[in-house]
Amino acid sequence: MRATVWSGRNTVQVENVPDPTILNDRDAIVKITSTAICGSDLHLYDGYIPTMKKGDILGHEFMGEIVDVGRAVSTLQVGDRVVVPFPIACGNCWACRHELYAACENSNPNAGLAEKIFGHPAAGIFGYSHLTGGYAGGQAEYARVPFADVGPIKIEDDLTDEQVLFLSDIFPTGYMGAEFCEIGGGEVIAVFGAGPVGQFAIASAVMLGAERVIAIDHVAYRLEMARNRAGATDTINLEADADVVEQLKELTGGRGPDAVIDAVGMEGEYGHGALKAAERLKQATRSETDRGPALRDAILACRPGGIVSVIGVYGGLMDKFPTGALMNKGLSIKAGQCHVQRYMKPLLDHIRAGNIDPTFVVTHRLGLDEAANGYETFKHKEDECVKVVLRP
Amino acid sequence: MRAKAAITVHRARDEVRRLWESSEYQPDYIEKADAGVTFRDAPGDRGTEIHVDLERDTSAVRKLFAAPRLAKVKDELRRFKQLVETGEIARSDSTPEGERAQRKLKQRPAQPLQASEREKAGV
Repeated sequence: MRATVWSGRNTVQVENVPDPTILNDRDAIVKITSTAICGSDLHLYDGYIPTMKKGDILGHEFMGEIVDVGRAVSTLQVGDRVVVPFPIACGNCWACRHELYAACENSNPNAGLAEKIFGHPAAGIFGYSHLTGGYAGGQAEYARVPFADVGPIKIEDDLTDEQVLFLSDIFPTGYMGAEFCEIGGGEVIAVFGAGPVGQFAIASAVMLGAERVIAIDHVAYRLEMARNRAGATDTINLEADADVVEQLKELTGGRGPDAVIDAVGMEGEYGHGALKAAERLKQATRSETDRGPALRDAILACRPGGIVSVIGVYGGLMDKFPTGALMNKGLSIKAGQCHVQRYMKPLLDHIRAGNIDPTFVVTHRLGLDEAANGYETFKHKEDECVKVVLRP
Repeated sequence: MRAKAAITVHRARDEVRRLWESSEYQPDYIEKADAGVTFRDAPGDRGTEIHVDLERDTSAVRKLFAAPRLAKVKDELRRFKQLVETGEIARSDSTPEGERAQRKLKQRPAQPLQASEREKAGV
């Protein structure tokens, strides 16, 4: 089959590789009809996530048709149309029983590697380095889906691929980020990052009843999308407005937002001169894995007693973490890879009911063979790129 | 060098002990290693803790090889937990045999296996 393969920093290519086969009784094989490039794929592309290996197939947002199932899979049949959640979860362990699917205790066969870096292993993830299991990803014609009786959700009506594809990651991820904020009505929520996940965090905060949602980014066309499509009430352009913490205070009568969502992660692109330069150097020389301007500012801007919600991906260690502000303002931090399986059904219902149309983020539709162009366009934000969908 | 490992299995203690001793589930390496194995009820609904202590064997040679032995013990604990809880060993393209300490530094790329590789990995 054809598959998008990582072959070093800033290099992906579409190559011929063997077709996947059933390895376990609870596996299924999916013939992929639509797949997407995620912002977090750029961390792999840029070479900031450790334990990548040449030849790794990328991609963790995909959907398609079941073409084979293992003996123990009774919930799916050949021909079913499914969206596959990015975390691989067994459904049996204590974490899965408590709907903490991204903390699955059994799905990462490289648990020993992950334990060395994170203290504990977390769930396996498709196409996302060997730390998360070394599973082949879904930017390909076919993928093997382990524990297929737990993860994939069947799509039985005439919703298009693009309407449901983002149930695999970015819609639930953005939604969980907003849910972390404990919105009860009347809140001001600030969202750092108006990329695809940020857009869904904004839209979800609006759906959950936030009174004002402030989008923050340095890319003007993404802020426009946040305001016009996702429902942000205010925007801050980091290029134009230097001190984001002051800006946020000004927009909130000095209080600070009730909750702040970090939808940026480890490659934040702005910041104060000296600190920004030092961090870029440290990251380039691998003495710091995570640059952190968004997370720092989220903590500094959040109102006392508020919540900082971290859904942007970090991979290791970050310096200059504002512990003083965190502690003295009494903030709560909630973070995590999304427990996608928990949200797929309710969010599919929202899509069916017409409460949200997730297709608004799609700006580029390419064939699978154009994946390399897709990565470059997305990375450099060319051609007003927000979200790239690939069709094998 | 600490030579202890533990894992929690989401099952009652009687069942965990019975499976541990059954021919289908028994972790061979741990059983042969003359390790101290104890089973304890985990708090709340968390199941059963299995504790393995390799320090019981105090010979100097054994102590020298404590680290690789411990890594193997951890692999076996994880595989036992996976089998009991999910009915199968988690396999990925990079690690088709399932968790193995030897694989940590010799990962396959994350792309599907050729038929010959599948045969070698026993899947």
